[in-house]
Amino acid sequence: MKASINWLKDYVAIDIPADKLIHRLTMAGLEVEHVEKKGGDTVFEMEITPNRPDCLSMIGIAREVSAILNKPLKKPAAKVSLPRTKTQITVKDKKACSRYIGIVVEGVKVGVSPKWLKTRIEALGLRSINNVVDITNFCLMEWGQPLHAFDYDKLGGNKIIVRRGAKGETLTTLDGEKRETGPDVLVIADNAKPVALAGVMGGENTEVTPSTKNIFLESASFDPVLIRRTVRALGLASDSSYRFERGIDSRLVKEGALRAVSLILQEAGGKITAYHDTGSVRTAAVGKIAITPDQIRDLLGADIPASRCKNILKKLECSVTGSGQSLKVAAPVFRNDLKEPVDLIEEIARVIGYDNLPSAIPQIKAVNVAPESRWDQRTAIRGIMTGLGLNEIITYTMTSGEALARAGEAGVKGIEVVNPISQDHRLMRPSTLPNILDVVLTNINRGQKDFRFFELGKVFFPGGERETLSVVMTGPRANDWLNKENRQPVNFYDLKGIFDALFQRLGIPADYNAADDGAFESGRAARILVKGKPAGTLGAVCPNVLKNCSIKHDHLLYARLDLETVYPLIGAAHRRYRRISDYPPVTRDVSLAVDKDISFADMTAGIREKSAGLLKDIVFIEEYLGEKIAGGRRGLVFSLVYQSDKRTLTEDEVQKIHDTILEDIIYRTKAVVR
Amino acid sequence: MSWDFEQLQQQARDEILKAGDPQELENCRIKYLGRKGVVQEIYAGLAQLSKEEKPRVGKDANDLKNFIGGLLDEQGEKIREGQEKKKPRLDVTLPGVQPPLGRRHVLTQIIEEVCEIFKGLGFVVEEGPEVETEFNNFTALNIPVDHPSRDAFDTFYLNLADPGQKDRNLLLRSQTSPVQIRVMKKNKPPLAVVAPGKVYRPDAVDATHSFMFHQIEGLLVDKKVTFAELKGLLTEFCHRFFGKDVKMRFRPHFFPFTEPSAEVDISWDSSKKSSKKWLEIMGCGMVHPKVFESCGYKKGEYTGLAFGMGVERMAMLRYGINDIRAFYENDLRFLNQF
Repeated sequence: MKASINWLKDYVAIDIPADKLIHRLTMAGLEVEHVEKKGGDTVFEMEITPNRPDCLSMIGIAREVSAILNKPLKKPAAKVSLPRTKTQITVKDKKACSRYIGIVVEGVKVGVSPKWLKTRIEALGLRSINNVVDITNFCLMEWGQPLHAFDYDKLGGNKIIVRRGAKGETLTTLDGEKRETGPDVLVIADNAKPVALAGVMGGENTEVTPSTKNIFLESASFDPVLIRRTVRALGLASDSSYRFERGIDSRLVKEGALRAVSLILQEAGGKITAYHDTGSVRTAAVGKIAITPDQIRDLLGADIPASRCKNILKKLECSVTGSGQSLKVAAPVFRNDLKEPVDLIEEIARVIGYDNLPSAIPQIKAVNVAPESRWDQRTAIRGIMTGLGLNEIITYTMTSGEALARAGEAGVKGIEVVNPISQDHRLMRPSTLPNILDVVLTNINRGQKDFRFFELGKVFFPGGERETLSVVMTGPRANDWLNKENRQPVNFYDLKGIFDALFQRLGIPADYNAADDGAFESGRAARILVKGKPAGTLGAVCPNVLKNCSIKHDHLLYARLDLETVYPLIGAAHRRYRRISDYPPVTRDVSLAVDKDISFADMTAGIREKSAGLLKDIVFIEEYLGEKIAGGRRGLVFSLVYQSDKRTLTEDEVQKIHDTILEDIIYRTKAVVR
Repeated sequence: MSWDFEQLQQQARDEILKAGDPQELENCRIKYLGRKGVVQEIYAGLAQLSKEEKPRVGKDANDLKNFIGGLLDEQGEKIREGQEKKKPRLDVTLPGVQPPLGRRHVLTQIIEEVCEIFKGLGFVVEEGPEVETEFNNFTALNIPVDHPSRDAFDTFYLNLADPGQKDRNLLLRSQTSPVQIRVMKKNKPPLAVVAPGKVYRPDAVDATHSFMFHQIEGLLVDKKVTFAELKGLLTEFCHRFFGKDVKMRFRPHFFPFTEPSAEVDISWDSSKKSSKKWLEIMGCGMVHPKVFESCGYKKGEYTGLAFGMGVERMAMLRYGINDIRAFYENDLRFLNQF
């Protein structure tokens, strides 16, 4: 909303400099966003919040100025006598058009506007067209009531019908565009054709031109929701639609019409020959709001004298009775937003200025909320992951069926978004992989092929949303110039090591078994089991997936872990300190050749139970897949660490247990000692 | 038997001082102090000496042993020093072998910093789901049924029925404010909660718009919480987050769920001009009585303050980031700057 200081001075005495006034308006809730000096005038643009349609006019702004500066408001009065003759107006859709006033003025002289009129409307950036049109615009800006003048002689049958548009029906609007109306759009029509898009813009076919002799002046009230939809559907907004969308005081329909017609008679001459008002003023009884100084103090934390409150509210055109302990306030009809005591308290506070109110540090008591959020657990996991050298990323949580299919995740269904922003974001993701692959592609395309990322984000299913830890990594195992071996690409075991460390740090036991999953390379992936329950997958991303996603890179590791399974277990087990043994450990190395189908887990299963509690640790040393091992076998080297908490173990004792364990392994796995 | 201790001493000294490396020195040690060495030989010979001679020769033998031992240590030290000097020196300017360095995403850093400040002031962190009901996201927050923010232009709706309300679909929360409703429905005051999280709005993506972004919501409810406390709390927060020298102002604004409502602007411009550059950083206000009503609180029993801020905006202001898309692109060179 634009306003001119010179124009405002028509209604209220302004005795402070323009920049001070602009600051005061901003600090009273009418945020000034742009200021411009124009000749001897200052023009500024404000953001009017949606609860204040009453401020979409010069009178509305002047009313605010009057309250802020504590000066009286002078409103223009229009004195017009109306004839008894009625124009023909039919409102077909009363819900969409609650009131319609039509005034016929015959014998007008359409011409150039007088200087005062031009100055006023041009200050607000409007273009002067002719005296009649300029007056409708002047009144729109002065009162906030949209008006439209038709060439009365071009209205077929001299009739006005307010109705819905029809399919295939078109109208060329004043901006020269041919537009389709349709049943979702309210139109103003004559006996044959539409002549205006109600509340938005008039039609070329009935435009007021220099040759116009007789005019039909429209002043009406249209449904805000319908106008909003029309604006969006047609992509056409105007100063009129802007105000209708926000709601207009229905009394203004008449006040605006009379003001306009009186100015038309003054500037263009002519005579009112017919008049019709179809609707009625909304006379819903305005309830009185009772408000006490205690209430004000309790909410604002400030003592404000009742007389000051009363004065502020009166300047805002509230009627206020009572004094001292209780004020009874009736809000003006154009202030639909004033319904409760808090609304009035805000009026008082903002006119005084929030910055002029006191400030105090709150005394926060012990809070009654037992937090259910996973904030602390998530923060712990984030700390572990960054400690392990991973960078956190945040990705979009929306994807598409195609992206899921490319990622090898066609089997999982996402939740559809009814109004997606684009085809690529049609689904709430059931898997993080597609979004993670986008990040991989971005980085690899930019030549960054060494990264370790993790994300703590949600995946979505009809049954609910679940938080997921995702990890993606590629690049050398280490940036180690001392040791060439370490510069090999990261592999499955590097990724698994991250999860081993995570679970170890969280104190949660986890197991792994081989997994086959479309997104992962066959034989290069493991299912993560937490307390025996599947909770995630980790491994090498399937080369096909990389190809489908145009990722020109040969290795990528990805893991996902369902944190909803993990969270309840964090800190669940009561941890007790275990005394460190005073006695030395004894280590025995084992080197076995075993069939390729036998896993390390198979090999070591149950051996602790056979050690009388003395086997303290199993340390894996090496896997050997070389040619020196007979066909179909591989070599595994590991150490077994024996230790007692009570005494030093003898060589014989250790040897006996170790032999038992070794025999057990050989018996179960048909391994051969190397 | 007799030994010329003086001569032995002389001989040992000559040989030890001549030893140039650890092996030669070790040979000397074996020769003199070894199990079959000279000193041992003397001790073995003591038995054959007379009672009178024994103590004197024994003392001489001990002296010789100590003398040689000391000399061996000294020479050993010299050899080590000499060898260290000969070793090539490290080029200490070569890069270290660095373990990978993990960092939290810059948005997480902002969220954690903000939440830590409020935790320090007595707040607890709460969170809510990203998929919400129309009731929690709008109705309970006093947002009217025909309000534009409910339109499909401003809120994402899901093809998922709301199990609690007939003919209504679930939606993606367009603000973190529904967490207020969840907290108040479950708990009685006093309440002091901050709620960070993702929110969604169907805005076309450009440098300043994203359909997914982050907000942090705050809520304090008790008997007689005042607007003065809202000002005090947020002033304290801004001083801790942006620094003591930041200028602030509370500008009246409109939100359906607070009354009075305000936006908080900050400025680093120390000039007294009223036209100094203000940056809007959050919305706030006193909880609207209608919101308490939807949560089942008795009318007039409690008052409360609420505030909300955009995390991306805070990060953009603090670090001078000018494109919101950078947060979600996750370019390594971006991530590594925070």
